[in-house]
Amino acid sequence: MPFINFATKEINCKIVYYGPGLSGKTTNIKWIYDHIKPENKGEMITLATETERTLFFDFVPIEVSNVKGFKVRFHLYTTPGQIIYQASRKLILKGVDGVVFVADSQEERHDANLDTLDDMVENLKEYDIDIEELPLVFQYNKRDLPNILPVEVLRKDLNRWDRPDFEAVATKGIGVLETFKEITRQVLKKLKK
Amino acid sequence: MLSLRPEEDEKLRKLLTELNKESKSKIVLLIDKSGQLISRSESPAFSSDDITFASLTAGNVAASEALSKLLGDKSLNHMFTETEEEGIYMILIEGKYILVSIFDKNLSNLGIVRVKIKKYYKKLVELLNQIEDRIKRESSVTEQIDVEDIDLDTLFE
Repeated sequence: MPFINFATKEINCKIVYYGPGLSGKTTNIKWIYDHIKPENKGEMITLATETERTLFFDFVPIEVSNVKGFKVRFHLYTTPGQIIYQASRKLILKGVDGVVFVADSQEERHDANLDTLDDMVENLKEYDIDIEELPLVFQYNKRDLPNILPVEVLRKDLNRWDRPDFEAVATKGIGVLETFKEITRQVLKKLKK
Repeated sequence: MLSLRPEEDEKLRKLLTELNKESKSKIVLLIDKSGQLISRSESPAFSSDDITFASLTAGNVAASEALSKLLGDKSLNHMFTETEEEGIYMILIEGKYILVSIFDKNLSNLGIVRVKIKKYYKKLVELLNQIEDRIKRESSVTEQIDVEDIDLDTLFE
């Protein structure tokens, strides 16, 4: 749910990166954080285990100033991908304005993609969020690895809502910005409605 | 969609600032459960990143609430965290918002903070209800905002 303050002229929106474990959600927002100008970002928070797996969430606030007098702030969150953190994943989705589904393109991870997508759909339902109305982007990550599924297969199995989708190699920043731009475009477009 | 009009922002800020002063807190924050900072007291001395603080607080409360549900309790009302120097008291308002007081343990204590929050609680709930009623009455607030032409490329180095 976006929050608009007409006194301070600020708009806040929450974007969540969702996907199976090790699909590259944290890598996406870390890349954005590393490449954004210092004046446009707040502090990045990572709640991770000792082995750098996301335990609860990562958080990056991004500020876009002076958009026709308004300051737009995007709060980027990632969810913990591992199956055991199902309960935590649901908590992060509260009040979400847009979702990026980061899929792992490797054939052996496709079942995990499908399970996580089902899990996301279920969690959104529990918050009464209509996925048809929700800004949503798909990213097929790890396109540089061997044994990856063709994009057509990923699209057919995951992108059932025919939303914009992108191929990515998040570790090199390929496709990261395009995905981010598309989700922010959709979130702002919905705000206009 | 939650929105604040300038006069509502001023009233909230004033109320939180009074509460902050009376409870001798460092800062008082009002956050929604999804992690957005809605308002805060005028506390120029508080130097931490309040946006990040809001997001972590919401995560903390959400996790504790889920824990209390697991234990069979229906709701979590308030929680308290301490560091060596500071106390952080969080209380849920109407199940939707989180009021947070951060205080220096040498200058205030949990008892004072709770008593003062109790004093302002009703006023705060009334104000929030008024804001929600106004939002319900308004058909669309976004007509007044033109957010097209955002050039995200300028954000990146």
